[in-house]
Amino acid sequence: MVSKVEGIDPRELQSLQLYLNEYRQQSEIFSQQLALLEEGRVEALAAIDAIHGIKESSGDTVLLQIGGGVSLRARIEEPERVLLNIGAEVVVERSSEEAVEYLKDRLTEMEASSKKVIETLEQLKYQMNEIARRLEAGYQQYQMQQARPIPDEQSG
Amino acid sequence: MSSISPKVQNQIAQLQQMQQQMQTIGAQKNQYEMAVREARRATEELKDVPDENAVFMSVGSVMMQKKKEDVLAKLNDKIETLEIRIKSLEKQETMLQGKFEQLQAQIKQALEGKSSPGAA
Repeated sequence: MVSKVEGIDPRELQSLQLYLNEYRQQSEIFSQQLALLEEGRVEALAAIDAIHGIKESSGDTVLLQIGGGVSLRARIEEPERVLLNIGAEVVVERSSEEAVEYLKDRLTEMEASSKKVIETLEQLKYQMNEIARRLEAGYQQYQMQQARPIPDEQSG
Repeated sequence: MSSISPKVQNQIAQLQQMQQQMQTIGAQKNQYEMAVREARRATEELKDVPDENAVFMSVGSVMMQKKKEDVLAKLNDKIETLEIRIKSLEKQETMLQGKFEQLQAQIKQALEGKSSPGAA
């Protein structure tokens, strides 16, 4: 990375601008990842609540959402047995306790991943600020250079 | 930028194009690597499931009940296929990286040659 601003070259400014754009794109990707992780976390927490809720009030009627705001009344036949999506388009039958355990493990992993993404985002933000600061100083210096008369022309 | 020769400008454009290609390949490789991780994880999870438990697998738009060992075999096939694709992408990546570095060195040389005081 370019580290000095004295005797600024327009190509240097251009490359700094490119770095800044690149970091911006990366930052957007990481922000999207963070949003997805948060979505997954909220979903897993809601699923744990639902498993507990169904177990506590077994036999009660639940509303089965079929989309478009339409629901059907349903009864859970076996609240102790749930079907769990384990990824790679595979669903397995497990006890509700095992499913909660699985979801809790996933939550721990998602939280650890979120922490890493936040750290990366902070680093990116710091680097972006650094580049933006250098760019601003560089542009100012470049403008001053442009405004200054060329010494050779003056003496000749 | 206007002081850069059309040849170097063209090389810079090629370099940017290569960079985009490498990003696309990288993104695809990431996607496949994630799919492999997911399939491996599902395999591990499935191994812990008692044989009598129901196992479903997505077939088109429906989930079909399958034997645990059949699902395990399908997952292993999937992992194998994805790993072959990853290797092929890695080869493409290495080839592009080599070309990229070569072109980058050419551009650097052209620019340095132009801006060096001795050149004037």
